[in-house]
Amino acid sequence: MVQYSYFPGCNLKTNAKGFEETAIAVSKKIDAELVEMPIWNCCGTVHTLTSDNIMKRIAPIRVLSRSKKHIETLKESPNQVVTLCSMCNSTLKIVNNEVKKDQEILDKINYQLEEDEETYETDMEVKHFLEILRDIIGYEKISEKVVNPLEGLKISPYYGCMLLHPEEAKIDDEEMPDVLESLVESLGAELVMSPLFKFCCGSFHIVDQEDIVASQVEKIVEAAKRRGANALVVACPLCAYNIDQQQEAMAKNSVVKSPIPVFYFTQLMAIAMGEPVKINHFNDHFINPEPLLKELGLIGRKKAK
Amino acid sequence: MSYEYLKFGKEEKDFIAKIEEISGENIYSCYQCGKCSAGCAFSDKMDRTVNQLIHLIQIGQKEKVLKSNTQWICSSCLTCSVRCPREIDVAALMEAVREYSLREDYEKIIISEISKEALDKLPNIALVSNFRKKTG
Repeated sequence: MVQYSYFPGCNLKTNAKGFEETAIAVSKKIDAELVEMPIWNCCGTVHTLTSDNIMKRIAPIRVLSRSKKHIETLKESPNQVVTLCSMCNSTLKIVNNEVKKDQEILDKINYQLEEDEETYETDMEVKHFLEILRDIIGYEKISEKVVNPLEGLKISPYYGCMLLHPEEAKIDDEEMPDVLESLVESLGAELVMSPLFKFCCGSFHIVDQEDIVASQVEKIVEAAKRRGANALVVACPLCAYNIDQQQEAMAKNSVVKSPIPVFYFTQLMAIAMGEPVKINHFNDHFINPEPLLKELGLIGRKKAK
Repeated sequence: MSYEYLKFGKEEKDFIAKIEEISGENIYSCYQCGKCSAGCAFSDKMDRTVNQLIHLIQIGQKEKVLKSNTQWICSSCLTCSVRCPREIDVAALMEAVREYSLREDYEKIIISEISKEALDKLPNIALVSNFRKKTG
């Protein structure tokens, strides 16, 4: 079994526990085990778009340097750090690209890392778990592991911004992606295409400008529901929180009727592969997906097989 | 019809140079096609659209630029940057305008004023990214 150095990022330990636990369970099933780095730090969540701020680039490089050390203890591990959170993925990838091109920035950052006896040599690659699933494992192997096809789930993929932007960090075509689509289909669910698959959810505005997020989420959810979706699938803990929490708030004010649950792609995989329900941490969700899953007979009954 | 006479002196030129320095982009690459604003998920909430703000930067109208809410509505989703036909990193220009304000000792969000309740509820990813964008 190939082992990957896995960088969780802050949210996978707090309100996206279901994302992490399902991902690790699934990764063992498909022979690409995610092993958490023993020491890691926050990557900074958003990449600085300035050309002159080196301080904001230190954290991601520290992660890469620590991951390199971690790989030495793993089996058959390629020089890759794997992320689940799409914001971590994009931040790490962008800075990694920058220092590969610009030795001067790297030297300045390494000077800062010296104190902790760390150094980075631009020999790491950043991969999102979806890339591993698509390029290394392949959808065929994923469908082979499905014991509980997700029949009845009509899922609309929502990519958010950071999986597809910018050019240096995208994991798929920025206007016509198909990685989540193919994954959803390989799990036996019905695919619902929505034009707002990368319409920004409002991101960090949730802290101080909640009305912006509310208006974005309303559009995203409406577009998916109008096309018949009964669930959304995402790869970003912030998209998940915003869409989930805002739908609940709007349902309370009866702005939105019949909110739809939001799944992480690994949760869908875990359900389809017959993993125990509790690793999904559905109690962390604002819109509980369990009633829908029970109604469709996907959880809570003995399988015929 | 009334006209507004615009000053284009040292102050204006310095402002343009600073924005170009922070963003690393050439502001005059923009030929005002409007594709950034057309694809922006937040155009309806901005008092000036993205291309209008870029135009104001091109003519050095510092005060009008800094008074706009455009740069604070932008969430850096980078849709404009990947679509720009002139390959300008438009989101970096928005970041440069934000940074310009923040580097003059200015906090857009005062962290101590956020309630403990909100801090407990919000995901850390939202807090960290918000503070990185809105504090200097």
